[in-house]
Amino acid sequence: MKLVVLMKRLPDLVEDLEVDDSGKALDAEFLKFTLNEFDDHALEEALLLKEATGGELTVVAVDGEDVDKMLYTALAKGADTALKISGTGEIGSTSHLARIFTQSLADRSYDLILTGVQAADDRDGQLAPTVAAMIGAPCIEVVTGIEHEAGKLIVRKEYSGGVLAEFDVEPPAVLGIQAARQTPRYAPVSKVRQVQESATLETVTLAADTGKSFDIIRMTPPETGAGAEMLGGVDELVKVMESKGVL
Amino acid sequence: MGNDILVVAEHLGGTLSDTTFELLGMAKKLASQTGGSTVAALIGGDDTMLSQLGAADLVVRVGGGEIADFNPEVHGAALEAVVAAKQPRIVLIGYTSMGMDLASHLAVKADLAAASFAIGIEAGDSVVVTSQLYGGKMNVTTDLGSGPCVVSVLAGSAPADDGRAHGPPASEDLAVPPTAGKIRFRRLIEPEAGDVDITAQDMLVAIGRGIGNKDDVEVAEALAEALGAAVAGSRPLIDAGWLPKTRQVGKSGLKVSPKLYLALGISGAPEHIEGMKSSSTIIAVNTDKHAPIFNFAHYGMVADLFDVCEELTEIVEEKKG
Amino acid sequence: MLTTPEKIAFILLVLVCGALAFTGFRRIFQIVGRGKSAPRTDHLLARVTRALVDVGLQRPMFKARPWVSLFHAFIFFGFSFYLLVNINDILEAFVDGWSTIGGGPLASLFNLLSDVFSVFVLLGMILLLLRRFVQQPESLRFNPAVKLHPKVAQGWIKNDSLIVGVFILLHVGSRWLGTALHLAERGAGDPWLPTASVASRLFAGMSVGTLETGIHVCWWLAMGLIVLFLPYFPRSKHLHLMVAPVNLALDKRTPRGELEKVQDASHPGAATLTELPWPNILDSFACIMCNRCQDACPAHASGTSLSPAALEINKRYFINEHAAELAAGNGSASLLDFAITEEAVWSCTSCFACVRVCPVGNEPMTDIIALRRGMVFAGEMPDEVAEVLRSLDEKGNSFGDSARKRAKWTKPLDFKIPDARKEPVEYLWFVGDFASFDQQCQEVSRTVARILHQAGISFGILYEGERSAGNDVRRVGEEGLFEALAEHNLETLESCDFDKIFTTDPHTFNALKNDYGPYAGASQYDIVHYSSLLLELLRSGRITLAQPLDGRATYHDPCYLGRYNGGFDAPRGIIGACGVDLVEMPRNRENSFCCGAGGGRIWMKDQETLVERPSENRIREALELGEIDYFVVSCPKDLTMYRDAVKTSGNEGKIEVRDIVDLVADAMGLGEEEAVA
Repeated sequence: MKLVVLMKRLPDLVEDLEVDDSGKALDAEFLKFTLNEFDDHALEEALLLKEATGGELTVVAVDGEDVDKMLYTALAKGADTALKISGTGEIGSTSHLARIFTQSLADRSYDLILTGVQAADDRDGQLAPTVAAMIGAPCIEVVTGIEHEAGKLIVRKEYSGGVLAEFDVEPPAVLGIQAARQTPRYAPVSKVRQVQESATLETVTLAADTGKSFDIIRMTPPETGAGAEMLGGVDELVKVMESKGVL
Repeated sequence: MGNDILVVAEHLGGTLSDTTFELLGMAKKLASQTGGSTVAALIGGDDTMLSQLGAADLVVRVGGGEIADFNPEVHGAALEAVVAAKQPRIVLIGYTSMGMDLASHLAVKADLAAASFAIGIEAGDSVVVTSQLYGGKMNVTTDLGSGPCVVSVLAGSAPADDGRAHGPPASEDLAVPPTAGKIRFRRLIEPEAGDVDITAQDMLVAIGRGIGNKDDVEVAEALAEALGAAVAGSRPLIDAGWLPKTRQVGKSGLKVSPKLYLALGISGAPEHIEGMKSSSTIIAVNTDKHAPIFNFAHYGMVADLFDVCEELTEIVEEKKG
Repeated sequence: MLTTPEKIAFILLVLVCGALAFTGFRRIFQIVGRGKSAPRTDHLLARVTRALVDVGLQRPMFKARPWVSLFHAFIFFGFSFYLLVNINDILEAFVDGWSTIGGGPLASLFNLLSDVFSVFVLLGMILLLLRRFVQQPESLRFNPAVKLHPKVAQGWIKNDSLIVGVFILLHVGSRWLGTALHLAERGAGDPWLPTASVASRLFAGMSVGTLETGIHVCWWLAMGLIVLFLPYFPRSKHLHLMVAPVNLALDKRTPRGELEKVQDASHPGAATLTELPWPNILDSFACIMCNRCQDACPAHASGTSLSPAALEINKRYFINEHAAELAAGNGSASLLDFAITEEAVWSCTSCFACVRVCPVGNEPMTDIIALRRGMVFAGEMPDEVAEVLRSLDEKGNSFGDSARKRAKWTKPLDFKIPDARKEPVEYLWFVGDFASFDQQCQEVSRTVARILHQAGISFGILYEGERSAGNDVRRVGEEGLFEALAEHNLETLESCDFDKIFTTDPHTFNALKNDYGPYAGASQYDIVHYSSLLLELLRSGRITLAQPLDGRATYHDPCYLGRYNGGFDAPRGIIGACGVDLVEMPRNRENSFCCGAGGGRIWMKDQETLVERPSENRIREALELGEIDYFVVSCPKDLTMYRDAVKTSGNEGKIEVRDIVDLVADAMGLGEEEAVA
């Protein structure tokens, strides 16, 4: 089976996010990027599929700060090929990103495209269904388990309350991964460094139509403590609990 | 393009979701802004569901029992057909597991402008959507322009009661469009019964990423035991295997509404908020004073959750003697 | 004098047993040679000299168990002298008329020594056998969860001990008895053979024929037995008498706190026996299975399946079982299958107690580091470890916190700590993860800052330029990440202008001082622990203690300050200077008992086999001292470990865990209010 994982970096939410002077974007000075955690799950699920059924795994990402390391890490974990896309200009939206990915895959064959179920900056929609609609492939979001059986895929999708739905899906398909069957593995730096020396990243330069893009009017942090009355200590907390009759 | 607002009705196991009514309420407000009407798309629904959609001016029914079980391919194509037939100005879809399969698909197929993670929509000359991005850390307001658009709305963004009205609305039927059959529904799997039903608890001690390692779960368990509460958690803890799936609160977990929801070390991502915002009293403890949870909590405290747990456990145990 | 048939029989026995023994020893050599290379052949003369002195003085033995060590010394000195005795006895058997009895002064001295040493050996051996078989000390048992080779589980160590013990008793006893018979034959005692003379009276009046037969029997029991025993040597733990001195000579000579680098980056660490460096294979031959390492091991004391002794013993029994294959370069069984459990690998706190206490120079801890290196490279590690490593890789700290927030702890201070990257400072403070991110430790860090500020010391920190020094990263086996962290930190330090570095965290101290050593440019730095710095400031009068304290305190030596780096006196000096009475716990200084946090353990959850946490064990030890006000520490991890342990062991209010710097601040009269301000 030929597997593709689409990966994307996101501002690390551990950092304090600040709005820049324009009032419409994050202040780049305080940004640190990290792999979208759901994409990490998508990669893990792809690795598990590859280990179970054999096949080839390609990871794809758009160039940017630390993207090389991200791709080498994926190779160190067991991906076979890493494709880095450059020359895209700034990515303005999910649909723009989806166009880029779609175009980069145009002359490649694949059975399954996996990516994270969502990204914290999905202003205009999710990557998996957008890519799927563009290439005319079936898509399921919020996937928590994939099995490959006799040429078809058995996919588990999660609804709220822990209810799962099981589907047969005919490849090629696109799946948005909510969680892999196991915690994404850790790639030791020694291995990543070794891969960095022995493997090369495939690169492709392309520019895609940005598609529909819409102006951000403003970006603001939600008002802090708007609803919450701040308490000074555990004693105050106890008083609140008593007043609510729960203690 | 008309001025109508189309709401996609969502159902699972024969029951319409709360989100559906929230969206209907929202749609009615928007319709009054655009001067259009509120249309609901009921795909694979039944007459009972139809009778509950009284808040809509018109319900477009596609299929019935034969496509009752959600199928991204079939329901996606059906929604395309509804949109093609009705040409609404705004399509509202819940930002739910099912909605995520439909919204972006529709945006591409019907060439609509799109917005996700929406918590507020204004419809004037153009449609302006406020999305809650970056794990709830930023609200981003986007101008979607004057054309037709599809908006995925976070659950809980509007009161469901505004969208509840009985009496069957006007309805019309649309044929189920043919599809290639690349996705086939197999079955639903109900979650295994858990040790504790967190939806039935009066008090929940909920923990999140602020818990550094598995051992620390014990600190929360000790507090819960002292309080006579149950421990619940946000998705990262469940994914890490530190709590069973049956304890998960949020979009992909359970919706809870206890008397007291004590959120410890939970930052307050929208997916989590969705599952607990209707709790009577929410008290949040977090070391980060900017944590979004403080926007939803009734009471907040900037502190280390371990200190609070230990101190509170002690006090509670003392009070109990 | 033997008869001719006896002579022929003895020579044949020597040839056959000698050949068998040779095969055994050659195999050992081959098996050890299958190990990975390790730099242990430098300074050979110094190595040999030191080993001879250590063995000669029995120095490594007396680190623990003084009585047992004394009995052992009896046997050791006696056995060493018996080399001469054995040569003499062969001459006596083969050279007509050779006898030392009634000889000149040299012969008489020889007789006296052989007489006395025989008794020493017999006495020592009997006492040791009584200890093992009658007293049966707890320390010779393993925790139930410890992985044991089937033969070990069946009690073969005891059998081996018994065989060796009986052999020694027979060998030395027969020789001594033979001498007594010789004296009886002569019909008179010899003042140079006092004990044999006493024994000879028992045989007075026996016929010459009977006595002569007895002498022959005793000779064969003494000399025939030792030859017969030769082929058993390579299989027995008794081999230690030959391998231990070699092992001591080929010890690691680099600082204790400096782990050996990975030799082959594409295949780091070890999964099988022969993937270990050769000195670690040699260790199992030197091991006498005394379990002293196990006694010292905090992981074993807490009930887990880790026993450094069992690790060495299992290796040895595995080798005995598969010697031919291993010597031929085959045998790829995983160490996890026969030597140690996976849980045990992750139970090690890297406290070095096992290595320090081992009387034969074994390093079981480094086997575990090698195993971890192999496992981490293969992606096999506890989830918590993976999570922390990911955080360290992405954010440079183990707390998963933003790198930018590293210096957030300084915010409540009413002065700004200079940024050492931007201005020259006298002291560069390398703060470390715990002291920067842990809430309790942050308070201590602020106290350190306030004291230095008050004393007018020029010091600065690296702010977000600092990353974890990587001490624990290296010890969980992530060598690549350690290198990356070291490279980053060294590059940052390179760009700063300072005289000395000081650290609050002993783990950080060790990494900078020892692990960074082999990296270019690192050794030029002068690195001190804050305990040394504070003591120096006290002595030079830059800090004055206006309000000396009273009360009683005990002090816990952090492994990475004390055992690893010899930092025993400075913290004690500070405690004394503050006016507090120091009461030592039984396990102190070199023999200090680890808190259980090192080697990455602080990131991991408790093992399922855990009975009592090392930190709780330690608090119990402190409370047994009687009225103690303060449990004083000089390591941020200790602060969190012991404050937790006081709570979890139900001893709240009985003892207060304080950092040395808190004592100094109190004695200086820096109030709590200021700390808050």
